[in-house]
Amino acid sequence: MKHLRPLNHKAHSLSAPAADGPAADVSPMSIVGCTTTFDPGWEIDAFGGLASLCQPMEADLYGCTDPCWWPAQLADSMNTAREWTDGKNSALRDWRELQTLFPED
Amino acid sequence: MNPRRFKTTLAAVLLLASTAAVAAADYLLTVTRPNTLHVVDVGARKVLRSISIPGDGIPTGIVLPEDGKTAYVLTNRFESIVGIDLDSGRQVFRADMSEGDLRVKSMFSLAVSRDGRQLYVHQIPTRLKRSEYESLETRIAVYNTADGIGARPVKTFPAPRRISVLAPGAGPDRVVALGWDVYVFDAARGVIDKTFPLRNWQREGIGEPDVLNMWYQYEQTGILSTPYFAPKTDALPGAPDAVKLGIMTFDLAREEMTLAEVGNAESAIFSSVVNPARRHEVFTVMNQIFRIDLAEKKLTQRLDLDQTYYAINISSDGKELYVGGALDKIAVYDTATLARIGEIAMPGGADQSLASMRMVRR
Repeated sequence: MKHLRPLNHKAHSLSAPAADGPAADVSPMSIVGCTTTFDPGWEIDAFGGLASLCQPMEADLYGCTDPCWWPAQLADSMNTAREWTDGKNSALRDWRELQTLFPED
Repeated sequence: MNPRRFKTTLAAVLLLASTAAVAAADYLLTVTRPNTLHVVDVGARKVLRSISIPGDGIPTGIVLPEDGKTAYVLTNRFESIVGIDLDSGRQVFRADMSEGDLRVKSMFSLAVSRDGRQLYVHQIPTRLKRSEYESLETRIAVYNTADGIGARPVKTFPAPRRISVLAPGAGPDRVVALGWDVYVFDAARGVIDKTFPLRNWQREGIGEPDVLNMWYQYEQTGILSTPYFAPKTDALPGAPDAVKLGIMTFDLAREEMTLAEVGNAESAIFSSVVNPARRHEVFTVMNQIFRIDLAEKKLTQRLDLDQTYYAINISSDGKELYVGGALDKIAVYDTATLARIGEIAMPGGADQSLASMRMVRR
């Protein structure tokens, strides 16, 4: 960003937060955070093992997608893909029916 | 069970209680997909009734006033609060927070006053513009529950971001909020009256704590509790005691917070509950149940579980522990031995996900 200069209001709003300090509002969790990988179920926990991962992985699937906890790995069922889990009430039994999403044209 | 039969059953229970001095019974409330509230008779180990919540799901938090007659459920992807009369199963209150280009969500944060008159909701508003989202200041909205369906806030006042739990405080206008710190709001004046530092504590040898709590289970004791994890600043990285597990308890009536480091952090923990029969005893859950003695400041028992459970609650006599949330069942444990003594399946095998489990005594 050092070599880019905002030319309009929207561009300025993108660069302003870092300078104004609101970035401190966002902070990662160290112990009870969640996956940073793009393959849920294959990460390690904060202690370098597996014991503190949700078991089975499906136990955590809806708990994490419902509040958009895995915003990159799973669908945004809070906003843009609200119907992603409709009719699939059990992550353990229905996960095969959860579909990959693609950007709409 | 149909509404008339449920009402008759509950009325019969109440009649028995009043005429034959039969002790009131514990009922556990939880929610599942698709937008369903369940009343669980924990004594009978069965779901007494499932109530379909009108509108879009997915439900999460549940709060109730002291009389336990109406359950207020956060649903519609965190955008609506629906009040359900537990006797009739009918929707008696509804506040849809978003309107027009203003999207308003609440991340689990709602509370109802003990007398049931006011509902407090921590709101995260976002203005949806043509090509950008404008993040607006977070706030607490106050609703009169008597306004029923279509209720609108009678008041709003500023509140910090990152609040995930609200609870009624010492008086009708007192609201306790758990965020990076614990705040006590004076809702009449619309200001923070007290702040109890958590994330911003300054403690010798103990660094910034990590807190994750979005589950409500303070009704049996009036004590809100949460696990926290905090690094020891003088420990070598990777040492067994490098990160400590602690329990924060907040007495809602006295508005007093206590902190206790009870052991080394060896696994993650999500939610905790104080035993009403032995208030120095706390149980926690995620992949294990831990028994914690706050007086001795130590972990006294650990039990590995068959799966992850997010939420925990306890019977009024402190003898039974209930763990649920995440998947499709509630498991029952004897608090004296941590032996598994029961299991309650959710209808249709539906997941509870981030449901709170709340106890109602009727």
